[in-house]
Amino acid sequence: MPIKKESHLYTFGFALVICVACSFFLAAVSEGLKSRKELNMVQDVKKNILKAVALKNPLPSRSGPREVLHVFQEKIEEAVIDAQGRFIAGKKPDAIQEGEEAYPLYIYREQGAVVAYAFPVDGKGLWSTIYGYLAIEADGQTVRGVTFYKHGETPGLGAEIEKDWFQDNFKGKKIWDAAARDRVPLTVVKGRVKDNIPAGRQSFYVDGISGATMTCQGVSEILDRWLKVYEPFLKTIRKF
Amino acid sequence: MPLGISKKDRRSIRTALWASNPVTFHVLGICSALAVTTQMKTALVMGAALTFVLSLSNTAISVLRGFIPGKIRIIVQLVVISTLVAVADQVLKAFMYDVSKQLSVFVGLIITNCIVMGRAEAYAMRNPPFKSFIDGIGNGLGYSAVLVCVAVFRELLGQGTLLGWRVVPEALYESGYANCGLMVLAPGAFFLLGAIVWVQRFLSGYTEKP
Repeated sequence: MPIKKESHLYTFGFALVICVACSFFLAAVSEGLKSRKELNMVQDVKKNILKAVALKNPLPSRSGPREVLHVFQEKIEEAVIDAQGRFIAGKKPDAIQEGEEAYPLYIYREQGAVVAYAFPVDGKGLWSTIYGYLAIEADGQTVRGVTFYKHGETPGLGAEIEKDWFQDNFKGKKIWDAAARDRVPLTVVKGRVKDNIPAGRQSFYVDGISGATMTCQGVSEILDRWLKVYEPFLKTIRKF
Repeated sequence: MPLGISKKDRRSIRTALWASNPVTFHVLGICSALAVTTQMKTALVMGAALTFVLSLSNTAISVLRGFIPGKIRIIVQLVVISTLVAVADQVLKAFMYDVSKQLSVFVGLIITNCIVMGRAEAYAMRNPPFKSFIDGIGNGLGYSAVLVCVAVFRELLGQGTLLGWRVVPEALYESGYANCGLMVLAPGAFFLLGAIVWVQRFLSGYTEKP
């Protein structure tokens, strides 16, 4: 008995065959590319940490995933601290559970000496969550570098936070007022620092992005929130 | 003949690029034309991804057209298109991770791009595979051409760069030139797209019947 093309049986049969064929094809592609995709994700995180700590010999701009992983392994030690700023021995950032009071810390060493400590920062921007890393120099007072790698800010305005010119503004800024012996919230100002802030205080402020005041406020809040979290640790490394 | 492409095939590509361009003539695919055109790089990759999906989905649907039951033909088209889009997304994630992060959801949204379904239903369902493939390439390129056009203006006027390279000289900024903020927002793309449709229709002599 020939099966008619418009019969229910044929329709169901055809749908089944198409769905199975497509899912097998897709599964094969996904499985085949799995290791590459995972490598990309892992190296992307590490590349951003390396960018935040401002390597003394910066990565070439076109370095592949393997180079990134290699440099990361060589220069960065992964550690975890608790809410009191003490190291949790033997724990890696990957092992931190959701809701646990433990915070990742990435230690950048050059010839055995610590150059910078980096940690992840995230929080609300104007449109969605901004993710980045902040690196503090070994003195616990100076910003070594910052990077924002994931956000949903307006392209051309708030999205400028991912650009080098904005992130470079943070380098050398202070989070600690040595004279008053107190922490100072690092603030992104509206407009330029040199036009708006008195000469003695300029090292606590960063140039803003015109047209992106809300994003900049978000950045200030994010940095301050995480600097507070890491303050117990930073206190331990400051020397007077 | 190079690659076995006949004169007729070349004409059909030319038609899709100009006289019946999917964006300016059919006004399809506007959503992504607004979303991914702030930079040339994303526009180019999006154009390539769409051309890939469109040419292969047209071919696949054309091959299957004799077997697809009429009652579920739209669903079958969607299954084929979604599979190809998912493949394109996976390939981007594996080989162009940075770009795939910028394109984010818009690669996935190729599934709902009216050009892809429109060509499948209107062309591939009643034409042989090779002709459908050529039709897909032509329409994909037609879409990409408009996207790149919009992106050139948006990136140049909005950020002063092209493909990430600084084009507008620093000296101009110092003498008071400012980037046009409107261009990086969606309204800028609306104005540009409107202007491009207008100019293209003026040049190609097309008018809508009242």
